[in-house]
Amino acid sequence: MTVPAATVVRPLRRRTAHPVAWWGWALLLATAAGRTANPWLLLLIAAVAGLVVAFCRGDEPWSGAYRVFLYIGLSAVAVRMAFYVVFGGSDGPTVLFTLPSVTLPEWAAGFRLGGNVTAEGALAALYDGMRLATLLVCVGAANALASPRRLLRSVPAALYEVSVAVVVALSVAPQLVAGVGRVRRARALRGNTSRSPANLMRTVVAPVLHDALDRSLHLAAAMASRGYGRAAGVPARDRRATGTALLIGLFGLCAGAYALLGTTTPAPLAWAVLAAGAAAAVFGIAYASKRVPHTRYRPDRFGPKDWAVVASGAAAVAGTAAALALEPAALWPATSPLHAPPLPLTAAAGVLAAAAPAVLVPSAPGGTADRNGTAPPAHPEPTPPQEHGTTRSRSTPRADGAAPPTRHPAPPRGGRAAPHGDAPPEGPR
Amino acid sequence: MAEARPAVRRRAALALVLAAGFGLVAMSWPLLAAPGGALTETTSGPWLFALLLPLVTATVVVQLSAGGLDARAVAMLGVLSAVVAAVRPFGAGAAGVETVFFLIVLAGRVFGAGFGFLLGCTGLFASALLTGGVGPWMPYQMFAAAFVGLGAGLLPRTPDTRAGRAGEVALLAGYGVVASLAYGLLMNLSFWPFALTQGGLAYVPGGGLDENLPRLVAYSVATSLGWDVGRAATTAVLLVLTGPLLLRVLRRAARRANWS
Repeated sequence: MTVPAATVVRPLRRRTAHPVAWWGWALLLATAAGRTANPWLLLLIAAVAGLVVAFCRGDEPWSGAYRVFLYIGLSAVAVRMAFYVVFGGSDGPTVLFTLPSVTLPEWAAGFRLGGNVTAEGALAALYDGMRLATLLVCVGAANALASPRRLLRSVPAALYEVSVAVVVALSVAPQLVAGVGRVRRARALRGNTSRSPANLMRTVVAPVLHDALDRSLHLAAAMASRGYGRAAGVPARDRRATGTALLIGLFGLCAGAYALLGTTTPAPLAWAVLAAGAAAAVFGIAYASKRVPHTRYRPDRFGPKDWAVVASGAAAVAGTAAALALEPAALWPATSPLHAPPLPLTAAAGVLAAAAPAVLVPSAPGGTADRNGTAPPAHPEPTPPQEHGTTRSRSTPRADGAAPPTRHPAPPRGGRAAPHGDAPPEGPR
Repeated sequence: MAEARPAVRRRAALALVLAAGFGLVAMSWPLLAAPGGALTETTSGPWLFALLLPLVTATVVVQLSAGGLDARAVAMLGVLSAVVAAVRPFGAGAAGVETVFFLIVLAGRVFGAGFGFLLGCTGLFASALLTGGVGPWMPYQMFAAAFVGLGAGLLPRTPDTRAGRAGEVALLAGYGVVASLAYGLLMNLSFWPFALTQGGLAYVPGGGLDENLPRLVAYSVATSLGWDVGRAATTAVLLVLTGPLLLRVLRRAARRANWS
């Protein structure tokens, strides 16, 4: 799509970054966290993730995920400490307190429970727990920032049927809840107030399920009547080639994994077989995606800002890699003898660079709901007439970011039968 | 009973077998890795498998759905995934109450092994998306749940008599117990090398089977025995309570979908 720079309309709202970019950023940050046990650095990474979440998140249901994952991370630290206290770990000279100790008999693995709890061991357990917690916090940041509905639009076309099924699932789940309410109201009107589980099964669960399954058949009929699922012009040769590539990939992955486990195959050969298998599988998926005749409604492009977000995550990894070369002792601080670990400055600089998305793609005051299909009903922008239209808009130039709500994660091949966001699927009744 | 099911083709079956082998290695590598092997020399093993497992899952799903999933199967898959996602939160919070497996087992039984596999993947994926629970554990959960559904589809047929139907529910309940315990052990295996790195219960890189198996068993008993037993019990109880009714409901849907 080539739009002259002068004609680009300034977007009314800034768009948030591509969900794939957010996941890339978060996983790179998590990689950086996985390569160090320095508590200051780990705290810095968690703080940077929190800062970016605070600046860039919208107000969707999943935006609170960061806090949930923070709690999960804190409980991971607590579990790690509890395990250290009960089952022991690394030891040191500074004994904090001593628990009564029991040595399990040999048949029960012969572990010692309790015993000395040392400051050095507790500190090592704490660093280790913090590392896991920081990894989890990074994942939580991705959950809070990336819109799952937009992410579903980025799945390869070969996984298209399954992603449609997931979209159906996401839109049917609220309907199920509504269905339960309807059936219960009807049941109460008939004077059935029995609370026995058997009665509830027969008069609530069964009708709700019947309803949902019948609805799925209506939906299937609606999709089929709009041309979904016709195996249009895929030559048998291509299908065989795809299948063969996928199978070769799986064979390679299995053989590589098996070779990695044993000692008889030299390691480089095992890695090569594994890599070749992965490459064949990726090729198979890419080839299968190409042969599916498939157009996208409002393609979600990966722009320069998205690349910048990913690059800022890569800066954190680069920082830790440089620190590993320059000051490895600071990245993996020893806990014995006790001392305050130094902060590796190169790594800290890299992690701070990963906070750039807070400046690059801050969320608009009204949230980012206009980009990912959960727009509130009272939407200020007029809906264009082709909102639920066909897939022609591939050639429609649009101003970056000023997209109206779209409820199609990906329109099906050859038709417009995508199940719409939270509108009930309309089928021939 | 001649049941109408979405078809699984031979190539897809082969892909499933290969993926099962890879998945088993990806989860149980801490036990299988020989001392001195390539995996025990580096610390990249767990991350390697955590990254490759989604790729393998995607490959199998592509192979399973290539031309084999019509609109009816896709819609049914979507609706059942929604049911899975809707009942999953009932199990959260209470220790070991697992409200997902009985549905996956019943659907796998009625709609076949390939459909059960896909439902395990999409159901857990949809529920993770709805609750913002996408994490490093998700590929393992999807894969393990997929095999719960796959196994349910491979159980032997039972005669369509009164005794046969009772036997079917008993068979499914027994399978539910075994599958729940295996699921718990596999999830423990997948997370164990990450969760603990030192102490008496931690994974010893290069320790071999006789060193690591007692540690794994002790870790499982110490952390998750209550959960695993609870999961097995709730799955069996739910299967016995809801099985007869839900099997009728699902079979009616399968008849109406008219898969030939």
